[in-house]
Amino acid sequence: MTEINETYKEKISFNKRLIFLYVTFGILGVVFYYQIFNLQISNYSEYEIAAENNKNEEISVQPLRGIIFDRNGEILVNNIPTFDLITKPFFIDDPDDFLLKLSSFLEIDEEDKKVFLSQFKKAKTLNKELTLKQSISDEDKAKFLVRSHMFENAYVGERYLRNYLYPEIFSHSIGYVGRPNDDELDEIYEKRSLNKKINFTYTNQLIIGKTGLEFTYEDILTGEFGNNLREVDARGRTLDEKISSEPKVGNNLYTSLDLKSHQAAHKAFNNRKGAVVAIDIKDGSIVTLFSSPTFPTNQLANGILQKDFDELLLSEEKPFFNRALKGRYPPASSIKPAIAMYGIEEGLIDWDFSIFDEGFFTLPEDGRIYRDWKEGGHGDTNLFKAITQSSNTYFFDLAYRSDINQLNKHLSSLGFGGKACIDCFEEDKVFVPEPSWKMNKHNFGWFKGDTVNMGVGQGYLVSTPIQLAKYAYIMANKGKFSDLSLKKDLVKSEKSIEFNKFSNDDWFKLHESMVNVIEGNTGTARRLRERKNYIVAAKTGTAELVSGDNREQYSETRLDDSLRDHALIIAFGPMPNPRYAVSVVVENGESGGSVAGPVAISVLNSLIQE
Amino acid sequence: MRYLDFKKFSIYYDPYLIISITLLSILGLFFLYSASDGNAAVLIKQSIFVFFGLILMIVLSQPDPQIYYSYSGFFLLISIILVFVAIFFGPEINGANRWISFGFVTLQPSELCKIFLPIFIASYLYGVKLPINLKNTFLTIFLILVVFLIVSSQPDLGTAIVILLSGLYVLFLAGLSWTFIGSALAIFVISLPFLWNNFLEPFQRQRIATLFNPDLDPFGSAWNITQSKIAIGSGGIFGKGFGEGTQSHLNFLPETETDFIFAVIAEEFGLIGLTILIGLYFFIFIRCFYLSINARDRFCRLVIGGLSLVFISTLFINIGMVIGLLPVVGMPLPLISQGGSSLISFYIAFGIIISMASHKKLVPR
Repeated sequence: MTEINETYKEKISFNKRLIFLYVTFGILGVVFYYQIFNLQISNYSEYEIAAENNKNEEISVQPLRGIIFDRNGEILVNNIPTFDLITKPFFIDDPDDFLLKLSSFLEIDEEDKKVFLSQFKKAKTLNKELTLKQSISDEDKAKFLVRSHMFENAYVGERYLRNYLYPEIFSHSIGYVGRPNDDELDEIYEKRSLNKKINFTYTNQLIIGKTGLEFTYEDILTGEFGNNLREVDARGRTLDEKISSEPKVGNNLYTSLDLKSHQAAHKAFNNRKGAVVAIDIKDGSIVTLFSSPTFPTNQLANGILQKDFDELLLSEEKPFFNRALKGRYPPASSIKPAIAMYGIEEGLIDWDFSIFDEGFFTLPEDGRIYRDWKEGGHGDTNLFKAITQSSNTYFFDLAYRSDINQLNKHLSSLGFGGKACIDCFEEDKVFVPEPSWKMNKHNFGWFKGDTVNMGVGQGYLVSTPIQLAKYAYIMANKGKFSDLSLKKDLVKSEKSIEFNKFSNDDWFKLHESMVNVIEGNTGTARRLRERKNYIVAAKTGTAELVSGDNREQYSETRLDDSLRDHALIIAFGPMPNPRYAVSVVVENGESGGSVAGPVAISVLNSLIQE
Repeated sequence: MRYLDFKKFSIYYDPYLIISITLLSILGLFFLYSASDGNAAVLIKQSIFVFFGLILMIVLSQPDPQIYYSYSGFFLLISIILVFVAIFFGPEINGANRWISFGFVTLQPSELCKIFLPIFIASYLYGVKLPINLKNTFLTIFLILVVFLIVSSQPDLGTAIVILLSGLYVLFLAGLSWTFIGSALAIFVISLPFLWNNFLEPFQRQRIATLFNPDLDPFGSAWNITQSKIAIGSGGIFGKGFGEGTQSHLNFLPETETDFIFAVIAEEFGLIGLTILIGLYFFIFIRCFYLSINARDRFCRLVIGGLSLVFISTLFINIGMVIGLLPVVGMPLPLISQGGSSLISFYIAFGIIISMASHKKLVPR
C-alpha cells in the first residue's frame, strides 16, 4: 500500500516537473513567436528595404583618363581598347574545373591562374567579377566566342589600356600610371566616394598617375566616376543595370612639351647618361625635359615582368633616376657669366678691367695654387676674353675678391638652390653652399679657397639641369622670367631681378661674349658653328669629379669612365632675339663644348628650324 | 499501446509521431533543396539519411524497453569511445575533431551522447529510491560533467550544452530537490565571471557581447545575425516564394543549409510557413508530453521526458540564435538541417520513445 502510494506520489511529482518544463518552454516559445512576429509583421517594411538594398547595389563606373598632348597638338598619351576574358565567380562552382575547361582551348598563364584562384572565394562571396586574362588576342577571342554558350560564367569584355605613343622618350616628363597601393586605394575610395563594386574601364582596373605629369595632374586627368544601379535576382543574375550618372571622361592635358625636340634629344643622347632641358623664353614653359637613359612606360603601366623590372631597377645606368630634375652636377664654367654679373653689379670689375693670366691663381693666405685648364694661361685677359675662352684664373681672382654671402644671394636670385618648376614631379632644389651649411655638414669653417672654387662652379656648388636651364633663360631674357612649367597656358606672374649697376649695356656685352663662345675663333665651342644656320649664345663647362693636383693624376682618372668629367653647356638663341634657352649635361662626357654642345644644338635646331 | 498483430509477431508503432516526423522530414528535404541552391547532391544524400533514418526509427521501436534498460550502460560507453576516436583519429575540420570519416559519410559521435546519457541516467535512477538523494545526485552530476567536458574539448560547445541539459532534465524530472537547484544556481551565477574569463573562447565572448549590442561589430560576428534578421523580416506574411529568397541565395545569409536554414524558410515562406512548421513541432511535443505522462514505468517516463526535452532544447537554441535572441552557437534545426548525424540521432531518439510508449508492461500480480 505504501509502495503504491509512493509510486503515485512520485508520478505526481514527475508530472508536475514535466509540466513545469513544458510551460517554461511554452513561455519561451511565445517570446520567440513574438519576436518572429515583430520581424515579419511589425518591422516588415524596414527589413524588406534592407533586403532590397542588399540585392540592389550601387556600382561606380570608372571614367577614361584624359589624353595628353604636346604643345603642337600631337597626341603623346591616349587610351586604346583591348579585350579581356572576365569571369563571374558567383556562377562558378568549381574553379579548378572551370580553369580546366577553359584551358582545353585557351592558353592561360600559370600566373593568371594563381591570381584567379587566390581571389576567387572573395569575389564569389561578393558576387564580383574577376578578370582572368588581360588583352586577349583576336584568335583567342574568336575561340572563346564560339564556345560562349558553354560559359554563362564568363565573357569577353572591352577594356582600355593607357597607351604611351612615345614610351621611350617621355618616360620621365610624362611618367606613367599604375595600380594604387593599399593606402592610395583607401584614399581614392574615400576621396571619390566610390562604392564597393566598380565597373572597370581599364584592364588594369583602378589606375592612378604614379610619376611625372600623370601624377601631378592626376585630378585633371582622372575625370569623374559614374554610378550604376544594379538589380540582381535570387540567382545572382543581373536583372537590370540602370545608369544613375554617366562617368565623365577626364580632361585632356595640353602640355608645353615639344615632341620633335624630345625625339632630337633622344637621338642625340643615344642612351648616354645625362639630361637636357629647354625653355620657351616667351613664357618660361618647358619644351624639353629629357633624362637619359629612359625606360619603357607602356610596360610599367600595363604590366611588366618582375625580372625586367628588377633589371631596370638594379641597372647601373639608373634609368628611373630623373637626371633633369634630380641630377646634382657642379655647374663648372657655365657659372662664369653669373659670377661676371655679380662682379659688375658689385663694382669689382668692368668690361675694361683685365688681369694677366699665367695659368694659375695663388691664394694669398696660404699660397695654395688654383690651376687654369690651359697650361701657361691666357695672358692678358679681360672679361670678354675670360668668358669666350673660359679663363679660370680671371674668375678665381674675381671670386677671391667676392663676399660669399652676397655672392650666394646673387646665385639664389638666378635660381640656384631653389625650385625652378611649379608642376614638375619630385624636383630636387639642392642648395647654394653657405658658411653655416659647411659648418653643419663638414664641421669646418668657410675658407676663402671655397669661394675661389665657386668662382669656376666647382667645390661645394651643385645644380640640376633644370636650374641651369632656368639660369640660361633668365640671362637670355635679360633678368626677366616666370616660374618654369609643363602645362600649356598656365597663368604665371613675370618676375625680374633688380640690378643697380648691371645695365642694359652690360646685358648686351654679356650676350656678345657668350655668342663668341661659339662664333668667335677662340671660343671654347667654336666647332658648333657649322651645325646651325643661326646665331647661338652659349657657355660650356666641364665639371671635374676628381680634382687632381697635377696633370699626371688627372690623366689617370680619365681612364675610368665613371670618373670622367661631366660635359655641360648652357645656350640660348637665335640671337639677337633668343626664343629658347637650353641646358645639357652629359655624364662623363668630358668636354662641354664638343660633347654637350652638339646635343644642345640639335635640340635648338629642332625647335627653331621647324 | 499500439501494435499490429500478425499472429507470430507484432509491429509496435505510434501513428501520431510517425506521421508527424515523416511529414517534418519530407518538408525538411523540400526546404533543404532551396537552401542548398538546388544542389541535387546535397538533396540525394539527405534523402538517403531520411529514408534509412525512418526505417531505423521503426526498427528501434520494436525491442522491449527492457532491452534499452539493460544495455544503456553499454550504449553510453560505445558513444563515449567513439567521441574519443573522433578526437584522436578523426579528421580535423575547421580546427575541431568532431567527426569520424567513413569515406562516403562523416558522422559526429557526440550526437549519440545526448541520447544515451539521459537513458543511462534514467536506468540508473530506476533502481534507486526517489526522490533522489544527495549521493546519487552528485554521482549523476559528476557523470554528466565528464561527458560534457569530453565533448566540449573537441571543441563543440553547442552539442556539449545539449548533453549537459539532457542529463540535467532527467535529474530534474527524477525529483532533484529545489534546495539543491537553488544553491546550484546561486553558485553558477557567482562563478559566471570566472567561467566567462576562463572557459569561453574570445570569439564566443564576442558572440555573446554582440547579442546585447549588435552595433558593437556590425561587420563581424553581428553580421550573420543582422543578415538573418533581414532574411526573416523581409519574408513577411507569405514569404518570397520557393527559391526566391535573395538573402538566402545571394550569400548574405551564412550556413543556409545547416544552422541558418530556419531563416531561409522564414524568408521564402513567411509567417504562414513558419507557423505550419512550428505547429508540426508543437504537435510532436504535445504527443511526447502525453506519452511520457502515460508511460508504463519510471524508466520509460524519464526517458521519454528527457529525450523529448533534448529535442525541444535543440529546436529552441537554433531558432533563438537565428532570430537573434540567443548567442550564435552551432546548433542544427532538428530533422531539417543538413547533416546526417543530427538527423540519425533524433530518429534513434524517437525510435526509443515509440518503443517505450507502445510496449505495455506485464503488470505483476
